[in-house]
Amino acid sequence: MHHWKRSLALPVTMVAIALGFLISLQAQTQKNVSAAEQISAERMSQMKLVLSNSQDQNTKLQEEHRVLLEQLDAARKKVGTDPQLLDRLKQLQILEGTQEVTGPGIQISIDDRNKNVLFPLGTDDIARMINTLKFAGAEAISINGQRIVVTTAIVLSGSSTILVNQVPINRAEGIPYELDAIGDQDTLLDYYSKLEAPGLKKYGMTVSIVRKTLIIPSYKGAYTFKQAKPVSS
Amino acid sequence: MMLEKRERSLLGLASIVIGFLFIVLLKTQGSAGSQVTRQETAVPSLIQTEQENQQISTDNERIQQELTKYAQGQSASTLAEQQLQEAQMNAGMIAVVGPGVQITLDDSKRAAVGQEDPSSFLIHEQYIREIFNALWNGGAEAVAVNGQRVTTNTEVFCGGSYIQINGTRQMPPYVIEAIGDTNNLSSALRFYGWDKLGDFQQQYGITRKLEVLKEATIPAGKLRDYHYAEPVKEGT
Repeated sequence: MHHWKRSLALPVTMVAIALGFLISLQAQTQKNVSAAEQISAERMSQMKLVLSNSQDQNTKLQEEHRVLLEQLDAARKKVGTDPQLLDRLKQLQILEGTQEVTGPGIQISIDDRNKNVLFPLGTDDIARMINTLKFAGAEAISINGQRIVVTTAIVLSGSSTILVNQVPINRAEGIPYELDAIGDQDTLLDYYSKLEAPGLKKYGMTVSIVRKTLIIPSYKGAYTFKQAKPVSS
Repeated sequence: MMLEKRERSLLGLASIVIGFLFIVLLKTQGSAGSQVTRQETAVPSLIQTEQENQQISTDNERIQQELTKYAQGQSASTLAEQQLQEAQMNAGMIAVVGPGVQITLDDSKRAAVGQEDPSSFLIHEQYIREIFNALWNGGAEAVAVNGQRVTTNTEVFCGGSYIQINGTRQMPPYVIEAIGDTNNLSSALRFYGWDKLGDFQQQYGITRKLEVLKEATIPAGKLRDYHYAEPVKEGT
């Protein structure tokens, strides 16, 4: 019979214990993971289906919207509406935000996913930035595709979902926040880069601003007046 | 320490097995983590698309209704007049009256002493913006502050001793009026910033007052000229 060295007894025991522990842990996690993986895969495929349906519908609706607006434009022209009145209508619709607009402006991209960022971009930051852009004379503003109009509320839903016009604007892909503003590029750039960008950068966020000809989408929500009545003059 | 050959190979084998198990363990742990994140990112984009779909549907319905009116051959001038009226109402270019709330904010009459922070005794532009946000969130239909109608382009910007609103200089007290469902408006004001102002009222003597009005009158805003933004021409 082989004679074991005494000095080896302790390390071998330790190794045996560690090995046993690891094997049991491994078996446990493997079981959990494969079960979770299966559920997750099922859920993912369902989710993807629902999402792609929803996206298809979105494309269809957008197209329908475009065609309808075209028809409306044609109908207005056909009945020979006063062009001056139409101009005023367009102006009002830019203000109320129901008119998609294009023009020179700045596009601001903000990335708050950096590890150094202690607090991600919050609703207060977004509201303050939009206010600064208004102060700089912005004629139309949008954040992640949501047009900013008078009734726009920017609120937090749950712990991290930001709602603008009641629509979640958090992005799964690309740069988290994209703020578009049409107006005088120099003024917008000057005000934003002096008043807003330094603060965000100080908190570790990446901010990039580019001059660009932008298209800012229309506000898709509805104005409702249930309590307010026009003052009869 | 000298080991025999057999012992050495035994130890080596054990180490390899442990190392291998560690790596497998780490990998399974890692994949379990990534599964969760992949799924979590799919949820917001779904909600986003669904919400947008709903919004576009509503807007499509609105355009359809307008088209129907044209098709029915309504008088062009009447229809244009109606549209103009509607757009003016939406844009806040018409004075309106209705039930609502009135909020008064004012600087403290007391001055800071000792270690107290003087800025806690003043009303800052951020409070006004926070209250606007809460009011819109509560379904406000029209909002004004110190007689300035809030429109899409309204800024509330700190100018030092005054607050710039619609390009005008406003001084305290700031009287905010909003028309809408008074219950909804009042409950929408129960947010963190409002409570904080309540604390400042107790500690530093600022004014934060909420009144429900049977009838509030909110003036019309001013239409601005647009020099940069142009309507996107559909289909041309």
